[in-house]
Amino acid sequence: MNALRMRDVSVRYPDADRDSLDSVSLDIARGEWVLLLGANGAGKSTLCMLTNGLIPHVVKCSLKGQVEVFGKDVARHSVATLSTKVGIVFQEPENQLFCMSAEEEVAFGPENLAIDREEIAARVEWALETVGLLGCNDRPPSSLSGGQKQRLAIAAALSMRPEMLVLDEPTYALDPIGRIELYSLLADLKKKHNMTVLVVERDAEEAAAFADRIALMSEGRIVRTGRPKEVLADPNALRFIGVPPPQLCEFSEALYTRVGGPKIDSITLEAVAREISTVLSAKKGVEVIHP
Amino acid sequence: MIPCPTADEGPIAAMRNVDFSYDDGTEALHSVTLDVWRGEHIALVGGNGSGKTTIAKLLNGLLRPSRGHVLVKGNDAAKESVAALSRTVGYAFQNPDHQLFCSTVAEEVLFGPKNLGFADAKAVEKADRALSLMSIGHLKDKAPLSLSLGDRRRVSVASVIAMDPEVLVLDEPSTGLDAGEAAELMRALDGLNQEGKTIILITHEMRLVAEHSERVLVMAHGHVVLDCRTRVAFSEPEALHESGLIPPAAIQLAHRLSDFGVSPEVLTVDELAEEVAKVWGARI
Amino acid sequence: MGCQNMTGFVDLYSEGGTFLHRIDARVKIVAVLFLSVLAFLLSNVYSLTLLLAFIFILLFLARASLSRTWFALRFVIRFMVLIVVLWPIFDPSGTPVWATFGPVKITEPAVWRGVTSAVRVGCLACVWYILMFTTSQRDLVRALVKMGLRFDFGLALAISLRFLPTFSATIDSIKDAERARGMELDKGSLLKRSRNYVAILVPTIVSALRSADTLSLALHSRAYGARADRTYLREPKMRRQDAAALSVVIALLVVPVFFKFVLGVPL
Repeated sequence: MNALRMRDVSVRYPDADRDSLDSVSLDIARGEWVLLLGANGAGKSTLCMLTNGLIPHVVKCSLKGQVEVFGKDVARHSVATLSTKVGIVFQEPENQLFCMSAEEEVAFGPENLAIDREEIAARVEWALETVGLLGCNDRPPSSLSGGQKQRLAIAAALSMRPEMLVLDEPTYALDPIGRIELYSLLADLKKKHNMTVLVVERDAEEAAAFADRIALMSEGRIVRTGRPKEVLADPNALRFIGVPPPQLCEFSEALYTRVGGPKIDSITLEAVAREISTVLSAKKGVEVIHP
Repeated sequence: MIPCPTADEGPIAAMRNVDFSYDDGTEALHSVTLDVWRGEHIALVGGNGSGKTTIAKLLNGLLRPSRGHVLVKGNDAAKESVAALSRTVGYAFQNPDHQLFCSTVAEEVLFGPKNLGFADAKAVEKADRALSLMSIGHLKDKAPLSLSLGDRRRVSVASVIAMDPEVLVLDEPSTGLDAGEAAELMRALDGLNQEGKTIILITHEMRLVAEHSERVLVMAHGHVVLDCRTRVAFSEPEALHESGLIPPAAIQLAHRLSDFGVSPEVLTVDELAEEVAKVWGARI
Repeated sequence: MGCQNMTGFVDLYSEGGTFLHRIDARVKIVAVLFLSVLAFLLSNVYSLTLLLAFIFILLFLARASLSRTWFALRFVIRFMVLIVVLWPIFDPSGTPVWATFGPVKITEPAVWRGVTSAVRVGCLACVWYILMFTTSQRDLVRALVKMGLRFDFGLALAISLRFLPTFSATIDSIKDAERARGMELDKGSLLKRSRNYVAILVPTIVSALRSADTLSLALHSRAYGARADRTYLREPKMRRQDAAALSVVIALLVVPVFFKFVLGVPL
């Protein structure tokens, strides 16, 4: 059973002149990390809202096709039920934190499910520790930094004990180091808890190296999916859908056009540096002596 | 455009030993001194809460220094109203939704120049030019708040450009824009810079900085920790790291390849490829 | 920053370890209600002054910072002075008449009634201040829900309190953005000034609505309203000292009532 299974899903908002999702099919395996890339208006957020039933239960629109999360049809289960399977984090940290302390924020979900007090306390402790906010229990969310707020939003989702996290442009308001911290936290969750992760971004730069698979989205359709290396090897496909290729891919492309190689097979900084170093060292034997 | 400070023209905006604390006692700036010259293309960078926005608001009088002086065109800004300063220093806020309130885009863009007292024809001319620079002429009759975030951002920048200030400060203008929209915005800003306008870009996007700005001011904890040419700034990754910033991947790669003779002072992907190709060629 | 003022105004609470901080918020709410009722029942200026003195002692024991206390009391004192001055002017009844200015007659009973009302208002205001100084908004909302307020009303109250500072920061930011475009908010005719304020109102409302959208999605995503028998991680518990405090509070109301209405002592 897959974590997510979408078949020919189309969504149209009232008063819209085209479908926001246009017969989308997508499978995400358990424990898989998928990065969904696309420009503004590609339909990324709509896809996110399907994963925990916000569409069709809360957001009004017409839905065709089938969406299942962990075998549950989203149209037949309430958002509350689905929220124990899928935790969702939105881009704006400020507006998804509504409690007066970090602890209450994390406890809110389990409280709504009428879980025992001891169990809630244990979950709160665990979730805050996991995101590195233990000790901030009584801090008002508004007093936290941007990165901390986003991690608190993750903790608030984690306390529902979901098997999948969906993050809609989570790094929107973060500085570069904050972004790396956020992705490292997700990588840790995936490793330790086999968490399934769906991250939506407009930019592949920092995100690509963490993903198992990349899906490219444009005008309501998923136009391509594949392993990051395969997808990034074709920078034009990214440009075509309005997503800037990571600099390392552009570099590889630019080097290729200049000297006809080498074809770089890596996407992380370390690995690319190693590959180029190897190539340049190998050339050393026949090095031309400069004056 | 390379600034050419001359004896008879001082910096267009400057700060002299400026301290700033908010009412609740938070110290946002410590003894900041800097000069902004006409025609510069500056990036003001730093982690969240490092004092970037405070500097921007001090330059146009929205905030007043707790100590020290802000000089705009050589005059003490303390003596001038925000409205008067806004003729010289225009400031586009981070959140476009905080400055859009008119019923049409055309009115929105006319609002600033009219406030500054330009004659009607002149104001319309300036507004039209701003609209076309931001390529939003076709949205003239639309309601600003009904537009997409990318378009709202462009309207808000256009509404500041229309006031024709000599210094244009833009707070995180690329936030919420996709690559195409951001590139278009940066092209327009570069064009204005070519005409002699001073651009101060507040941003997290190091790639934009590397590709567009000539000078970088790095802020950390209310101090200017680095003020130099962009090329030099990125060869000091420690200072950047302290402010929560990481150089773009191409620059980091150049650093790692510097042992092979690749210059660590590259800024763009093309420059890096050129450097590596040179080293590669030299070694065949 | 205006945002700070606004936060200070809305949230007077400051952390502390006094017994007033530690008492169960429900006891404090009951105490505030009882003392308010008492202030209305007492009509003798001396007993009211005694009550005010008692409340002042409590206020002092709450150990709020002087600036905060003064910030709060400033309004009360102004209001009290206003009552003392205006009451006799509008209430010409009774004798002896102390002075006459044209149609205005200042009588001795009216002056006393003014003083009595002022002291009463002082009691009412200060007793609420004690509650606000020593009880966090979080505990207050929890206590209200525990006392029977519907959870969704409690949540709505908590969310409004939580977002007030955000809202006020948004307004500040919008004002700054308008000023940066050459608008001078407080210049020009009344009509022009009110138009200027519309320019602030529109983006404020729009950004509040946008926040509300995300907020509603976030609430649903965390199973809001899933079950009627929702549990609570922290629930206020009555301890022995709370029970003791509650009996003192009850005595504070019952004893004077007994003296006044049963024994007929003119309190």
